[in-house]
Amino acid sequence: MIEITIDDRKLSVEKGITILEAARRNGIKIPNLCFDKRLRPYGGCRMCVVEIEGGRKLASACGHPAREGMVIKTNSPRVRRVRQSVLEFLLVHHPLDCPECDKAGECALQDLVFEYGVPETRFTGERKHAQPDVRGPLIELISNRCILCAKCVRICSQYQGRGALGLIGRGFPTVVQPAFGEVLECDYCGQCIDICPTGALISKPYKYKARPWFLEEKENICSFCGVGCTLTLGIREGRILRSKGREGAGINDGNLCGRGRFGFDYIYSENRLRTPLIKEGDEFRDASWEEALTYVARSLSSIRDAHGPNSIGAIGSPRCTVEDNYMLAKFMRAGLGSGNIASSEAFGYAGALRAFSLSFGIGSNPADLASPLGRDVILVLESDPTITHPVFGLNILRAKREGSRLLVADYRETKLTRHSNTWLQLRPGTLVALLNGMMNVIMDRGLFDRDRVSGIRGFSSLEAVVKEYTPAMVSEITGLTGEAVTDAAVTFANAPRRLVIMPLAVSENNKGPGSALAAANLLILLGEEPSSLQVPAEYCNTYGMLEAGIMPRGGGMDVFDMLYKPGHLRALYIMGEDPLVSMPDSRKIKNTLRSLDFLVVQDIVMTEAAELANVVLPASSWGEKEGHFINAGGLRQRIRKVVEATGKSQPDWQILRNLGLAMGINLGAKSFQDITKEADDFIAGGRREAEGAPRPAFHPVAYEPEEPCDSEFTYTLVTRDVLQHSGNMSTRSEALKLVQAEAFLEINEKDAERHAISDESHIKITSRRGAVYLRAKVTDAVPEGVVSTPVHFPSGGINELTHFSGNTCSRLDAVKIERVK
Amino acid sequence: MTANEFIKKVFFIEILKGLALTLRHFFTPSVTRQYPTEKREPFPGSRGLHALVRDPETGREKCVGCGLCAAMCPSQCIHIYTSEDDDHKKVVDRYEVEVLRCVYCAFCVEACPYGAIVLTDHFEYSGYSREELYYTKDRLLHNWDKYMANSKGREYLEKFWRPKSEDFGVPAAGHHQAEGKKAT
Repeated sequence: MIEITIDDRKLSVEKGITILEAARRNGIKIPNLCFDKRLRPYGGCRMCVVEIEGGRKLASACGHPAREGMVIKTNSPRVRRVRQSVLEFLLVHHPLDCPECDKAGECALQDLVFEYGVPETRFTGERKHAQPDVRGPLIELISNRCILCAKCVRICSQYQGRGALGLIGRGFPTVVQPAFGEVLECDYCGQCIDICPTGALISKPYKYKARPWFLEEKENICSFCGVGCTLTLGIREGRILRSKGREGAGINDGNLCGRGRFGFDYIYSENRLRTPLIKEGDEFRDASWEEALTYVARSLSSIRDAHGPNSIGAIGSPRCTVEDNYMLAKFMRAGLGSGNIASSEAFGYAGALRAFSLSFGIGSNPADLASPLGRDVILVLESDPTITHPVFGLNILRAKREGSRLLVADYRETKLTRHSNTWLQLRPGTLVALLNGMMNVIMDRGLFDRDRVSGIRGFSSLEAVVKEYTPAMVSEITGLTGEAVTDAAVTFANAPRRLVIMPLAVSENNKGPGSALAAANLLILLGEEPSSLQVPAEYCNTYGMLEAGIMPRGGGMDVFDMLYKPGHLRALYIMGEDPLVSMPDSRKIKNTLRSLDFLVVQDIVMTEAAELANVVLPASSWGEKEGHFINAGGLRQRIRKVVEATGKSQPDWQILRNLGLAMGINLGAKSFQDITKEADDFIAGGRREAEGAPRPAFHPVAYEPEEPCDSEFTYTLVTRDVLQHSGNMSTRSEALKLVQAEAFLEINEKDAERHAISDESHIKITSRRGAVYLRAKVTDAVPEGVVSTPVHFPSGGINELTHFSGNTCSRLDAVKIERVK
Repeated sequence: MTANEFIKKVFFIEILKGLALTLRHFFTPSVTRQYPTEKREPFPGSRGLHALVRDPETGREKCVGCGLCAAMCPSQCIHIYTSEDDDHKKVVDRYEVEVLRCVYCAFCVEACPYGAIVLTDHFEYSGYSREELYYTKDRLLHNWDKYMANSKGREYLEKFWRPKSEDFGVPAAGHHQAEGKKAT
């Protein structure tokens, strides 16, 4: 600690920090235009100049370290005069189009000019008059307003790890542009929009919609991934117009991804359900709530009476609140007496929970978003957290910048592989073999504490299984060299602080619970705690949904029986889920849904599954109801009603309560407070039960290939997520559709050449289950022999190709590709 | 009571004096106007019903929708909604004034950087419903045509309000030109 004096205030600050940082921490404001705490000091704007006693010249506070005994004046007349001149220079070129500029009202430059007074205008100069670049889908660049602080350039390359923008040219004509002045093609996270001190980068969906002072700002939790960022929503006339991050708000501290920033408009989707619908013949007709609920109540009662409660099943939703899911579970268990409650997470996070309980002997393993920081080695396994959990991914990039070694095992090129120290490009779905191979090397070389580990249950069987996975054999399976496997194992085992990250997304078919189990084995072998295995839950309330009881218990069926085996169920109640889009082998599911006597779908929009339903009930979406989400870290966050409900839609828990009343079942929950408290107690009870020290055990997993390619089906299909979408809900967002509106198939350049496929050409993909038509995207990101596609898009119908078997390592599919003429 | 006072009381002198004054006013010219039938020309610059200035060049409103008038309005009676047109220009979709809430402070006129809103001298308006006194963009433009026709509008702005946009822009050539050091 050192002593400095700022503006006659004696301060004791940490050694090595800059003057600006010291002032910020003590609540002293030093104006600046190019500083951001996430970025390295730049010293470009010269607004933060301060006077240091004894110094001949003024110093910029952002780049000047504080030294013992410094006496600093931040607001002396000399300093003010210099700052005034800086603003005067900026205003020589900066256009005075404030009345049109979207930033006016929250513009740093405008505020400073207001604070320091209108400059004298001593200089004449040509004002910039370049045309705005309106070509990109979501971000508009208006170079006239740019003051070249390079914040956007720096956040994109230094923080976001993308580097899509650069300063092009020198001197006065310098502009911020994508390389070669091409159309901006990036992650569309929009961080540059928030960070821009002027209106040089603006959000296109919000452009000219409203001035900041017209907006009512309300905070809400994002409804996409499991990170649970806080969005600051700008609302006018009861409509959300924009969403942005605010420094200091929520766990994201101002960071947002493109989904959170632009994707909220799915709640204004055209096909939002406005009224209950009852199917008559093949057509739906509008119905009142009374009629629809009476009809559902009567039908469910008669099925229960005729076939028993276990003939009825329900599917919960990781998008609905804790209260909604708790109510569904209560309705099924207490109301109908059926234990058949499941969710799409059976293919995702529920599998991870099974792996945690088998390997570590714990019921839950909440992710820690700050976990990558301070680790010596981070191993990312066939995942891209920068896509599935973008704000969590930022911490991985930050850890890498701060010196962690980043090992990424992935079949394809991703942002993380580009930033990694080592990219282990294995064949898709062979992760288990790699992990077993790493354990083989560790055991072989004695890189673990044998005395401590050999006592753990299952060690001998692990040894027996792992023995076969010599680097040579692993090399054969994964396509990596034996040395690469050995190196990775040695690096990982020798690092004192290790971390494994592998989100298990419902849509990903290249890994499964077996992969998580193998990763757990590796960590237990090295004596690691469960917190070293980071498996963040996928969606906004995946964690909360499972805690609220959406899990088959007491002999209840999981989705595998409910949806893939016709005849097990007579009636199904689907809440906020579209199994036909999100779950594999949709043809089988379609058959099952068709075979049901009665299907109720409760959703915010007309989904593919809703088309098959007997009754469709309109639910209020995120932003239209109160509730709680529990994020991947187990943090319970309140979501608020910020706009009015669409049409006659109601919150899900309310619909279920009313349905219960229509069936003569009193589920309690008179008010929102009642249901919140009840759900809260239930979750707290569940957490108490799950408490206890981990009881690790080894459950060795052998690598099993899944549907290998043959002479007819020569390609491996890998399904994945894309950055702009999350589940299929985001595909209803008009803004996100501007970036990615339909499904596409990524194919390697050489494979494309072989089939005479060019970018954008139509191709037919056939698997043993079915065929779909997609557009091709020729890329070198995927290796030869592998094609990759996102599953988000209902129109794509990718899950007609996929399948599901008992294999816990992967669900890969073999496909063939034809060009469509 | 003196004799003088007594006489004054008996002959109602004070009352007669008063009546004389009244009588005198019968023959002086009247100051009262018979308002609905007899109307006075308002003083120039008086503040009445709002109007949106129509740009003679484009025939559209001059307003760019910057919202400063709405921000300044103490009674919060101005509502502006803008959007982007096909040429990526800002257009005003709706400009609405709840006239019943207006306090005629003319801060909106003062705040406007383009001289796009004025208060006309028309003050006689009434209606049977609130909607009739809810002025939309078209009605406000119509007010301009009706009450600020010909040169009246221009005179109003030049005489009473100076559009702030005149303060913007580059200084005239020759005015405080930056000069570098000349070699001697």
